[in-house]
Amino acid sequence: MRYALYIGCTIQAEQFGYEASVRETLPRLGVELVDMEGASCCGFPAFRSKSILGWLYLSARNLAIAEGLGLDVLPLCNGCHLSFIETKFTLEKDATLKGFINENLEREGLKYTGNVDVIHIIELLHDIIGVKKIGAAIERPLKGVQLATHPGCHAIRPSSLGRPDDAEYPQKLDDLVVALSAGTMDYPEKTDCCGSSLAMASGKTTLIIASEKLKAVKEYGFDGLVTTCPFCFKLFDSRQRAIQTAMSDRSLEVPVFYYTQILGLAMGVKPEKLGLELNLSPIDKILENIRGGDD
Amino acid sequence: MSENMERREVDVVTRTRNFVTLMLQRAVSEMAVEVCEQCGKCHASCPVSRHIESFNPRQLIAKVSLGRVEELLKSDVIWTCTSCLKCKERCPENISPYDVILILRNLAIRGGYDHPAEYDEFIDAVMEKGVLQQPQRVRTRSGERRDRASLGLPPAASPRDIKRFSEILRNIVRGGELV
Repeated sequence: MRYALYIGCTIQAEQFGYEASVRETLPRLGVELVDMEGASCCGFPAFRSKSILGWLYLSARNLAIAEGLGLDVLPLCNGCHLSFIETKFTLEKDATLKGFINENLEREGLKYTGNVDVIHIIELLHDIIGVKKIGAAIERPLKGVQLATHPGCHAIRPSSLGRPDDAEYPQKLDDLVVALSAGTMDYPEKTDCCGSSLAMASGKTTLIIASEKLKAVKEYGFDGLVTTCPFCFKLFDSRQRAIQTAMSDRSLEVPVFYYTQILGLAMGVKPEKLGLELNLSPIDKILENIRGGDD
Repeated sequence: MSENMERREVDVVTRTRNFVTLMLQRAVSEMAVEVCEQCGKCHASCPVSRHIESFNPRQLIAKVSLGRVEELLKSDVIWTCTSCLKCKERCPENISPYDVILILRNLAIRGGYDHPAEYDEFIDAVMEKGVLQQPQRVRTRSGERRDRASLGLPPAASPRDIKRFSEILRNIVRGGELV
């Protein structure tokens, strides 16, 4: 299993815990990751709001780099994944548009044909590697830890474009949590938006929407929240204090993890190799429970 | 630059303009063949509508159908979508308020209407550097700072020939402006 690793702007600029845990865990499951030199932003969603053509160029450009490597591409961010899938879909049904994009790509020495697959990390872990193989790699089962899953909007919608999991009843991230011997269950707010993309227009509403999920997760008695989306993570984890302040509710404390971080913990990888010191939500108690107080 | 090359660049600009027209025509014609029943599933599913009364995807589609586009371009409503895609997912007529909003945003920026300043900052960053933001030194729970290298991560990726990249991207984006 060899993939072109597309990290994306936000992860490579600030979400080091996600990138570090991906680079630490996937190779242990037999995945070889090849970095994409020269990669740029995927164009979603800010650039797309100004220029749909510019967005298509940016996404096709990254896919063309993966094509140059002869590898299927693994974007780590939900938004980047959707952006690539939608670009592929759009260019496939429009030869003229594809021709136009290629005329421009040629000037950067690139060519887009559409012949590489775009793999979502949930798809890679659940459908390609499989929960059985993941279960077999576990050294420290996360017994007794109840985790709510948050796949994130762009991992499950729109189903018309083919997403890695069901739009209304996503289960794969749950299966992946259970593979680590942790517990999980469905909850009504599971497929709800974190509110992150609204931050540019109304920061306050973003925090209110995010607070609803944190509140639900707490009320149902989960010990923590797990996601694979850097934007959702950033809001729920790094901005958790801001959410508390906006709601005047300091009790909205929820430990938040990237799936690959808890995967690494369950595999016995040391927390510092998984960037866990960068999670700003209160994860220490869970870490102690999982690690049993050693290291 | 050779004459041939120069002609080619002009060619690309002209054709970009045609493409924008073509895309807008397509968007409008796609909408014309689908009929919004005003059932309100989009509104009921929308996480923003619950908190911001002026944001109503059902109404937005009605306004577009009635040709009241300028009213929308002027309002901050089109910037209030959180792109969760529930409206697109649940519409029984396959109309996507989300996609309509993105087209309206394209038009609003081109037409010089007000929009949140952060969009310009992000777009300029991508045009100039190829990425939304440069690698940061991020804070740990104990208040220290960490950069990519301290976590053993390789240097961040960005376009190799940034001048060429910017030129091409600017050219594509400029294609949408009226001359």
